[in-house]
Amino acid sequence: MERFVKRREFLALSLAATLSATLAACGAATPTATPPAAGGAAGSTGGKKLKVGLVTDVGSVNDKSFNQSSYEGIVRAQKELGSEIKYVETKDAKDYSKNIDQFVQEKYDVIVTVGFAIGEATLAAAKASPSIKFIGVDQFIASGAELPNLAGLTFEEDKAGYLAGALAAMVTKTKNLGGVFATDTVPPVWRFGEGYRAGIKATDPSVQIQIIYHSDVGLDKTFTDPAWGKATALAMFDKGADIVFGGGGNTGNGALAGAAERKDKGVLCIGVDTDQYETVTEAQPVILTSAIKLLTPGVFNLVKAVQDNAFKSGNVVGDVGLAPFHQQESKVTAEMKARIDKLTADLKSGAVKTGVPPVKP
Amino acid sequence: MNLLLSLLATTLTFATPITLGAMSGLACERAGVVNIAIEGMMLSAAFAGFWAAVTTGNLYIAIVAAIVVGVLMSALHAALAITCKVDQIISSTVINILGFGLTSYLYGQWYARNAPDTPGTLPSVPLPGTSVTIRVLALVAIAIVLALHFVLKNTAWGLRVRAVGEHPRAADTVGINVRRVRYSAVLVGGALAGLGGAHFVPGYVPSFSPGMTAGYGFIALAAMIFGKWRPLGAWAAALFFGFTLALQITLQTYNVPIDTRLIGALPYLATLIVLAGFVGRSTPPAADGVPY
Repeated sequence: MERFVKRREFLALSLAATLSATLAACGAATPTATPPAAGGAAGSTGGKKLKVGLVTDVGSVNDKSFNQSSYEGIVRAQKELGSEIKYVETKDAKDYSKNIDQFVQEKYDVIVTVGFAIGEATLAAAKASPSIKFIGVDQFIASGAELPNLAGLTFEEDKAGYLAGALAAMVTKTKNLGGVFATDTVPPVWRFGEGYRAGIKATDPSVQIQIIYHSDVGLDKTFTDPAWGKATALAMFDKGADIVFGGGGNTGNGALAGAAERKDKGVLCIGVDTDQYETVTEAQPVILTSAIKLLTPGVFNLVKAVQDNAFKSGNVVGDVGLAPFHQQESKVTAEMKARIDKLTADLKSGAVKTGVPPVKP
Repeated sequence: MNLLLSLLATTLTFATPITLGAMSGLACERAGVVNIAIEGMMLSAAFAGFWAAVTTGNLYIAIVAAIVVGVLMSALHAALAITCKVDQIISSTVINILGFGLTSYLYGQWYARNAPDTPGTLPSVPLPGTSVTIRVLALVAIAIVLALHFVLKNTAWGLRVRAVGEHPRAADTVGINVRRVRYSAVLVGGALAGLGGAHFVPGYVPSFSPGMTAGYGFIALAAMIFGKWRPLGAWAAALFFGFTLALQITLQTYNVPIDTRLIGALPYLATLIVLAGFVGRSTPPAADGVPY
């Protein structure tokens, strides 16, 4: 009996410890001011200088992906509009509201929150502070939930993924393509993956497709598991893929690192959200392109709209596209480029549809 | 055949941090010191490995740095648990909190604006006659399992470790310095966790990211329990857990219609079954967690 109790106790304690480790993540987030850029308010449109705060999704402003390019949007506002900017890095999903509240307390004019997951907290904060403008990056505002001080900047990830898939299907030699994605429960990530699948199928139906989501772990881990991303990409190369698309924070970056390790074997990879050639130096020799959301201009334009008193609430759709091909320029023929350009235009106009719904059915 | 070999290589890759983590936990717990701080130690070590690799540009110095930091974290655990007789669960939890907080903080402070990559990762060795490669640290981990098995069973130190883990008073009466043996075991555990951290950076991934050990330290804990606190058993458990992770990937690449969340839950389910006593008994060392 004693043994039994001991074992049960042990399990309970282990579970409690796991929980505490998660809890450990909270707290200790303080806004970090960014030193003003040289040339400060050169492009300011006059009027008072905005105080712009940014709250990241779980991760840092140098995640080489999502947080970073949103952050670069407010850095541009600092340079061109003379805005005063600060950011808070979210360490744990439980801190979203707390972190937003730091900027609310300090009476910021604009609060930018990054990521789908922080949407609920943003909506609540916007409701409570009608005098502050909120910009929710990657946050689709459901009908009925609109607020006059909240703009949701979303991107049609499926279109960006579709372009990546079309290009990959044209470039692949083994007729076998892989995709490594953080999770299918976060719609933007899922739409990248399914858009990629649709783009491949539409371009070359004979290509074999291996697409995997790291949905077997919780949202706290799914974006921060580069070891899994790399192992998955390597497994796909083992099964004949010659191009792998990696998407979803550091998990996706792990897939790029996997391609980098096989650079002697002639494999390639595709980055996501931003031009990852600039950010994942390790993978530079193997990056074909990146499926990008034009986050930086998207965020900047919204901040500028506030500055110009032209802020429009509701859903705002930003542009998507493919990043430059850098070292792989020679692999992309003029004919392929023309097809991608035409597809980009057709996707924007609606002449070509990806067939991917906004959320996983 | 190629598929099986690839599955094997992926299994070994995933099993490496789990194996090293389980050996770390085992070294401590066989001496009677509970160690649920494997995750925190591995994460700190991975950060140290990253820091040393980008600072010195030498991957081998980075591995040493990771091991040193693993030992330092375990020294803190030992000081709290053995000298101060703090509840070992609490002291372990402190290490986990500290590991996550400190590495996230330092990463933010030092690399917030521009995170460099390490100069590559540790090499793989080709499996003769195949196209499959095995990570160097995966092989090291296997050697460590065998070594720990031998040391615990056949050396004077191993016998003392087991003695202070089962019945410290009896060990004390025959002249064994219980504290010293426990300290040494915990420090060895820290070194092993440090090596586990080195598997992440610079072993496998060229950049650090906060929380990147992503729970492997806790899976290692489960492997240790599943393996009944024995090196070979824990190794088998680590391989099984690694296999479930690898299998998940393989099934998805072949579009097998099975929910991967189910396979993802297998390690935990298996551990619960073992804990519940359905598959033999999993009994911790008698004095595990009891200060002396």
